[in-house]
Amino acid sequence: MKRTASQRKHTPGEIQVWLCAAGLACGLLMIAGLLLLIFGNGVVVFWPKPISEFTVRSADGSESKISGELVKTQLRRTAEGGTKAEIQLFTGNKDAYGLGFRFIDKEAILSESRPEGLMLAERMEYGDALFHPVQLKRKDGATLPASAPEFQGTLQQRLDEGNRLRSRLLHLEKGRIGKINARIKAMELRIKELLAGGKSGTGPEVSALRDRIAREQKGFDTLVAESRQMRARLEEDELTVRLSTGEERTLKTGSIVYCYEPNRLSLIGKLGVFLHHVIEFATSEPREANTEGGIFPAIFGTFVMTILLALLVTPFGVIAAIYLREYASQGLLVRIVRICVNNLAGVPSIVFGVFGLGFFVYGMGAFIDGGTRIPLPPMWWFPVAIAFLVCLTGSILLAVQSPPAGAESENRRGFGTRLKPIVATLTVFLGVLTLFQCPYFHGFFSSSLPTPTFGTGGILWASLTLALMTLPVVIVATEEALAAVPRGVREAALACGASKWQTIQRVVLPSALPGVMTGVILAMARGAGEVAPLMITGVVKLAPSLPLDFEAPFIHAERKFMHLGFHIYDLGFQSPDSEAAKPMVFATTLLLILLVVVLNLAAISLRAHLRRKYQASAF
Amino acid sequence: MTSVIGFGGVCIVVAVFGIFAFILSEVFPLFGKARLHETARVGFPGTSGGIIGLDEWSQLPFHYDGQRTLRFQPVNPAVNRAQQVTLTLPDAATVTSHRFDAEHDRLILGLSDGQVAVFQLKYTSSSAAKGTPVVTGTSFRERLLPLTPGLPVETADYKDAGDRKLVAAIQGKGGDAKLLVTALRQTRSLMGAGQVKMGERIDLTAKLEGQHPERLLIPGSADSLIVGTDRGEVFYLFSKGIGWEVRQHFKPFEGEGRQLGGIDLLLGDVSLVAWNAEGAVRIFSLFVPEGQTTRVFGQTKAFPPLAGGVLHYLPSQRNKSFALANDQVLRVCHATTEGVRASVKLAFRPVDLASDEKNEHLALLDPAGFLHLFEVDDPHPEAGFRAFFSRIWYEGSSKPKYEWQSTSGTDDFEPKLSLTPLIIGSLKGTLYALFFAVPIALLAAIFVAQFMHPEVKKVVKPIMEIMASLPSVVLGFLAALWLAPLIESRVPSVLAISLLIPLLSALLGFAWSRLPIRYRNLLPKGSEYLVLLPVVILTGWVGWQLGPVLERALFVTTTPEGGRIADFRLWWPQVTGTPYDQRNCLVVGFMMGFAVIPIIFTISEDSLSNVPPSIISASEALGASRWQVVRTVVLPVASAGIFSALMIGFGRAVGETMIVVMATGNTAIMDANGHLLLGEPGLGHGRFPLADHWNIFNGMRTLSANIAVELPEAAVHSTHYRTLFLGAMVLFLMTFSLNTAAELLRQRLREKFRVG
Repeated sequence: MKRTASQRKHTPGEIQVWLCAAGLACGLLMIAGLLLLIFGNGVVVFWPKPISEFTVRSADGSESKISGELVKTQLRRTAEGGTKAEIQLFTGNKDAYGLGFRFIDKEAILSESRPEGLMLAERMEYGDALFHPVQLKRKDGATLPASAPEFQGTLQQRLDEGNRLRSRLLHLEKGRIGKINARIKAMELRIKELLAGGKSGTGPEVSALRDRIAREQKGFDTLVAESRQMRARLEEDELTVRLSTGEERTLKTGSIVYCYEPNRLSLIGKLGVFLHHVIEFATSEPREANTEGGIFPAIFGTFVMTILLALLVTPFGVIAAIYLREYASQGLLVRIVRICVNNLAGVPSIVFGVFGLGFFVYGMGAFIDGGTRIPLPPMWWFPVAIAFLVCLTGSILLAVQSPPAGAESENRRGFGTRLKPIVATLTVFLGVLTLFQCPYFHGFFSSSLPTPTFGTGGILWASLTLALMTLPVVIVATEEALAAVPRGVREAALACGASKWQTIQRVVLPSALPGVMTGVILAMARGAGEVAPLMITGVVKLAPSLPLDFEAPFIHAERKFMHLGFHIYDLGFQSPDSEAAKPMVFATTLLLILLVVVLNLAAISLRAHLRRKYQASAF
Repeated sequence: MTSVIGFGGVCIVVAVFGIFAFILSEVFPLFGKARLHETARVGFPGTSGGIIGLDEWSQLPFHYDGQRTLRFQPVNPAVNRAQQVTLTLPDAATVTSHRFDAEHDRLILGLSDGQVAVFQLKYTSSSAAKGTPVVTGTSFRERLLPLTPGLPVETADYKDAGDRKLVAAIQGKGGDAKLLVTALRQTRSLMGAGQVKMGERIDLTAKLEGQHPERLLIPGSADSLIVGTDRGEVFYLFSKGIGWEVRQHFKPFEGEGRQLGGIDLLLGDVSLVAWNAEGAVRIFSLFVPEGQTTRVFGQTKAFPPLAGGVLHYLPSQRNKSFALANDQVLRVCHATTEGVRASVKLAFRPVDLASDEKNEHLALLDPAGFLHLFEVDDPHPEAGFRAFFSRIWYEGSSKPKYEWQSTSGTDDFEPKLSLTPLIIGSLKGTLYALFFAVPIALLAAIFVAQFMHPEVKKVVKPIMEIMASLPSVVLGFLAALWLAPLIESRVPSVLAISLLIPLLSALLGFAWSRLPIRYRNLLPKGSEYLVLLPVVILTGWVGWQLGPVLERALFVTTTPEGGRIADFRLWWPQVTGTPYDQRNCLVVGFMMGFAVIPIIFTISEDSLSNVPPSIISASEALGASRWQVVRTVVLPVASAGIFSALMIGFGRAVGETMIVVMATGNTAIMDANGHLLLGEPGLGHGRFPLADHWNIFNGMRTLSANIAVELPEAAVHSTHYRTLFLGAMVLFLMTFSLNTAAELLRQRLREKFRVG
């Protein structure tokens, strides 16, 4: 007899429901785990950790001391097939030991202590140093032993002085000397241009330029001498230190950036060091192949690129969406176009990168630099140019003639309307041909060729590529927002006598604004996190200058830039010492994730706000 | 304003489609044929035979009359002038054979008194700022090498490989023909290169098994000899110490009467081109056949016969192309792709054929003494459908392969441009990612859409969506530097966890459903996942600890010394014969899963939520349990949406770049020579050429990663560059068509339920 539902003791399918729940639990745990992992590792980087001094027995039975920060404990497989516990120690002092890390067998450790006097110094070169200070030696030969009560204060004062000196040096070398360099380079280029021109009468100008170069060179030399002097001052004071191994070394105080005693720090002190690290990370330049110091240029580069991206993508995306939603007749063609635009969002980012490299960098960039590679012969170019002008006039005429907004009655949608897209396409095509095949244009930067100016990756091309990539995001979001504007509102505006454009401009767009912003923010979030297309369109591991600075013309769209995402890739995979770079990578990752998550949360909350608003207005 | 918006809108839409058009325009030239057209004609009056050659710039071709006169005639008399050089030869001797080695600009002459004279041709150019360079040509005698005195030299060859120099000649005619070879040794000291000493003359005629030598070639390494005999056999002789051994002899064209028309080498000197009287051309390459240890020739290619036979053969000095000519046609072929690049009809019977160093020009001498200069426009000879998608028998490999190796250090390198391994790499990564992501994403979507309380759903869904925005570079970094070392030695743990979690959840569900209702009511419906959170964590921990136990029990290998080691990393290669890499597909799949889960989750959740509540209520009213509702009503209705979610997830995974670049190591798939490992014996022991590539525990290279890594280094508009564009186009087409199909499916679904 078949059992009926009422007779069943249990509900069928509970196992499947629990499996579903397991899927959700796994998903949630994965996200939580990932975020926790990044957050934990990222924050820990800045927190000062205690330094232990180990007494280790080596294979030959002798005892030695080594100090360092415990990184991890792990099991090692021995040759005999068993396993042994070993610890990984960050020992610093790369200049003395050759390596920054060391593995020690746990059973070889005889004792462990945390001496309070152990100091950690962050240096300009060779990474951190761990030592017991011995004495401070001034340039006049006066020495101050570490046991003296004023030792800490004096050392701190010397370090501050060194840091000040270094920042002045940076200003001098990058700022003033850099400016002179730029001027000399510009003049040399001008001379080259004049000489290449081969025109008579340029002799006096060339010699005048040469004189000016000589003058600048003199100024250059004095500045270089000054910087050399400053460098010498950085070398003056010496700190004698004793490493845990017993070796005595001297460090120049000028090479130390920051110094503290990790084992003596109170909680407040640790917090201070933590804050110092965070601030340094966010505001200073990288050191030592990016593995030390800060990532300010990368933050700035990401910021400028994202803003540029938003500026580029917003107008294009919004115009395209308005056209698709408000103007285009909703036929099969528009449906196809819409599907295609939607699906562009699913095209891999690297494909956009390839396009960006081929079209923007090697196409448009090379064109801006030195004109077209294969120009149309003039006898072809002139007809094309004339055809372009005709088409342009035609499309303007068609545009002017078109019916006023809102009056799209059937009989007016005749020949002209049908013709419009064809003429527009033709105009664009001919315009491109006229512009890019012009035999009379030889580029704006032809004098500096073969060194490319725009014909190589740069922030403008990278932003344009990413703008193109994120265009569908903005179009889709804007379209959705436009569609959500209630019909009644539009009709009210039209009834008040507003034209179609006036309705869109004053009524539809403002109420769709949160939706548009959601799209733009999502686009920025996607753009900020994307690396693959940037790798081939202009990102570099170390940019000498920022894309935005106080030198005319302020925005240097052709410059290469640094980027947080690429920084992660570069540090983790191209760095000579990837183990030492790991903390930096985690910190950078944390920052990037924060940026992206904050942007996303903003977009999500905006969307929620938008939904609420329209739900309310529906009543 | 309306029109401005309309115009702008159309422009943007057009621009978006321009992407595809642009990539297509970059790819298109790859599939083009070569073009040949005559650009100039240079007269060498009063000549009827002889040989010709071209300089690097094709400005000053020379003509050698077969005796003592070498004439240079300018293509452009306004820039260059004609010159004449008389070759200094022993007075009594006449030239009985001549050969021009275009690669080294060497004229090798066999004399009637049994000597071989080697002349070096030298071109110097002083290039004007613009336009054609000013070229002058001279020739000087490099060596005069006596072989058997008194016997006229019928064929001679000479190669200089630095320390080794080799001269070989066939002296005498027909049945009396003798094959002689002499090595030249140059002593090197601190003072530089010293005197060249001629070694002992060795008569190799006896090695030819009674056959008579007719043709002779010395490969560039100057350590071997290729001899064609009167019976149509080819002997491959290799110098061993001071003696010579016949390493191989074979008949390029089997059967009676199929005479050997000629033999010659391709650029790089590892491929022998042989043709017969009917015009059939075959290529034999040097490789180590499976199971053997020495390199011998084996047939790798065959070309369609050239009607009318082959009169002249000319290898390119730049790539693996070669030109063939007879009295009707001039044909340019490419060896790698077995393709005919171009054919031109000839109105004359060519006396000789020459090309310049850059392979930009071909020259033909007609019987009237006119040199016809053809411009060769063939920027991408090694490209073509065959090169990208089929198996090709590359030089030096023992069988046809799918292989990608775009660049190398040497000039005579044969680019291997098969996209197949890259496409398979992409699919492989995607497959493993989906394998991992689909169950989690779908199960989670079902739970969130159907079982979860709507208020909680408002929180859970955005959390999953945030996961979609995690930059892939972050995932890649974690995969490579955190996950890969973590699970490298814990594969059994991963296996245990992936089995335990579903098993335990199902068990828990089973137990729960058997509990009396009053206990079950303690847990509100839809919050089962809360109970499972700690369970999953616990199971994960248990599985992690269980791994080594499993390893000791199951994955034990024996070492040659007889020891037993429990290590999965050793066990896997021993059992399957495929490598185990630290950065493997398991890692990629797992991390790519992170990228794919939210996409599949979001889209399928949407489609599951959009199932009309009326039909759900109806089936509930009929007494179905909540799973029965899902299985019989919700899933079938939402199936199209779920399917489109899978397709979109697939599209995302196929194009994923950074995770793959970072997490596969990208180099792990290369062997010591930089070859992509594919088709090597492994899974299926080589019987299935592509099976090896699906190994989960090794790395791979995907289309997208390949582009990201190689494109910055590719020269603009080179074949390599355009091939990478082709890779991008394949990716574009793949994802675009998948997404379009998914979108159409979804729209269909939407329409359907709007009506319903």
